[in-house]
Amino acid sequence: MSTPLVELHDLRKSFGSLEVLHGIELAIEQHAFVVLVGPSGCGKSTLLRMIAGLESVTSGSIVMDGRVVNRVPAKDRGIAMVFQSYALYPHMTVRENLSFSLEMAKTAKSVKEERIERAAGILYLDSLLERFPAQLSGGQRQRVAMGRALVREPRLFLFDEPLSNLDAKLRVEMRAEIKALHQRLSSTTIYVTHDQVEAMTMADLVVVMNDGRIEQLGPPLELYDHPATVFVADFLGSPAMNLIKGTVMAGEAGPAIDVGNDLTLPVPPSPAVSPGVEVVYGLRPEHLRIAEPDAGLPATVTLVEPAGFETHLHADIGSHVVRVISTERLEVVPGDPVALVPDPARVHLFDPGTGRRLDG
Amino acid sequence: MASRAETAMDPVHERLGLSAGLRYRLGRFLLIGIPLAILVIWTTLPILWAVLSSLKESLEIYESNTLLPANPNLDGYRTVLAMRGFDSWLLNSFLVTVVATIVPLALSILAAYGFARYAFRFRHVLLLLYLIPRIIPRVSLIVPLNSLMSDLGLINTYWVLFITYTASAIPLSTWILVGFFAAIPKEIEESATMDGANMWHRLRRVILPIAWPGVVTAGVLCIREAWNEFAFVLALINETTMRTLPYQLYMLKDSMGVQDYAVYNAFTVLTVLPLLIVYLLLERRVVESIVSGAVK
Repeated sequence: MSTPLVELHDLRKSFGSLEVLHGIELAIEQHAFVVLVGPSGCGKSTLLRMIAGLESVTSGSIVMDGRVVNRVPAKDRGIAMVFQSYALYPHMTVRENLSFSLEMAKTAKSVKEERIERAAGILYLDSLLERFPAQLSGGQRQRVAMGRALVREPRLFLFDEPLSNLDAKLRVEMRAEIKALHQRLSSTTIYVTHDQVEAMTMADLVVVMNDGRIEQLGPPLELYDHPATVFVADFLGSPAMNLIKGTVMAGEAGPAIDVGNDLTLPVPPSPAVSPGVEVVYGLRPEHLRIAEPDAGLPATVTLVEPAGFETHLHADIGSHVVRVISTERLEVVPGDPVALVPDPARVHLFDPGTGRRLDG
Repeated sequence: MASRAETAMDPVHERLGLSAGLRYRLGRFLLIGIPLAILVIWTTLPILWAVLSSLKESLEIYESNTLLPANPNLDGYRTVLAMRGFDSWLLNSFLVTVVATIVPLALSILAAYGFARYAFRFRHVLLLLYLIPRIIPRVSLIVPLNSLMSDLGLINTYWVLFITYTASAIPLSTWILVGFFAAIPKEIEESATMDGANMWHRLRRVILPIAWPGVVTAGVLCIREAWNEFAFVLALINETTMRTLPYQLYMLKDSMGVQDYAVYNAFTVLTVLPLLIVYLLLERRVVESIVSGAVK
């Protein structure tokens, strides 16, 4: 395996006495698309800005190509960044915006022109080169911001929530464009977002952050299928995973989880579940099947959300409301009784104290 | 339902037969139009009076109460322009204004950039201290300044005007520019940093062009401040050739037995005119804003 392009070792950041990043360890391989995802205030943007060189490092090290770059100025790190707010120069035309970094680097005119033409071609900016940012739409401004990063031919692209200001439709389009661009250029990208759908759909490697720490990292589907903590389980997936507190009990047909109100939920046999242990029972909405009445857990429909391809249900199973996704067209209305059948093989069990996964 | 409620609330308008559009225009005229007209008359009437009086004959103002001159003529202006020393007073005013605009602007740009962009200890206190020269009455500075400048041997030199005018212009222009610089999103500068721009490049290529309306505003105020300044020049200059236009205007009044209002007003108009031209030339720059579209 080649040397990682970026390595973070015990990276910490404090603002005054407040530590916001607590010892981040991360290695980013060449050509990878890494997404840092987490709720607001988890430290993902601060981490990105530290890699960019816009924030100082309190302790630990940032290594690029085997060299510690903690004190290397932003401009000398070979990094380009796309900001959430685009941050275009409003008094410059698109062409001038694109050429600014090349002028600063005293790039030869012919090279400059060639790079601008190339970036403009890739991002469909050819006809907009003489316009000012105020004359562009949100999507076009976003493209210019990407073009500005592109012309520098950086070793590493950083994106700080670049799609947050776009409307839903444009966001989906730009998401695909950014990913396609990454594949085409075979570049290395670190992308920050709070949107788990962006993280799942774009990343080779998802890094879920919470409260200044990395909760879990891995390929998107691995995180989705095997979340290491309750936080990751809850954060990834929409609608979110059903999480119910209960106690393991020895049932006639194997172990089950008593979640109160005489309700038991099935679990696969596992050394992690011995009777009497308290657990958080997790099951994704798509792993609850709707069956004929009396063929499963009795439930009452409380909300129906038809989403086209699938239908989202909220159902009351006594003491809890669970979310269910069905790909069938359901003829149910709130108040209807239904039966729910959980898939025991897809159950996730977590320790309610530490929040960590119990079943390996 | 809503229209019934509106109808019930407006019986008077109903009876008067005023449409909603007409009522809106009437209200706008009463609330905005009339006060605005009063304000315009209030501010322009003295200037208009000065212009019209400058076109009257020497003693006409004592003889009639009419606003318009009976025989409009430019004799007042001819007299002023023929005065011995007028060109040097004009040159003095022009020179001190240029210096007392460029130097304070240059210093204020650097100071304001520091205040707007860097978090340092006592920043707010320092910014407040900056205002002290404007809070203290100028007249109270005259005696100590005169004594200080005498000791330095600067009385009756351009330097004394450059120094005092610059010092008094810096606080205002700094405060104006701090506001404009601070309003520029930080990301734009960070973006320039990532693009390889050092502080000078960021200031020159990014910050100043974006904050240009602010720089022009500060510049116009510096020009006005220096061009109109009277207290310092009166206290620190006593040679006739070193006078500025406002000083000479004052001396004009003093030196004549009977006031020649035509000459006096012609001098006033000629003093105000350059400032007015500067205002008219730069007004559009002052009000235009180019920041829109920079960030969402």
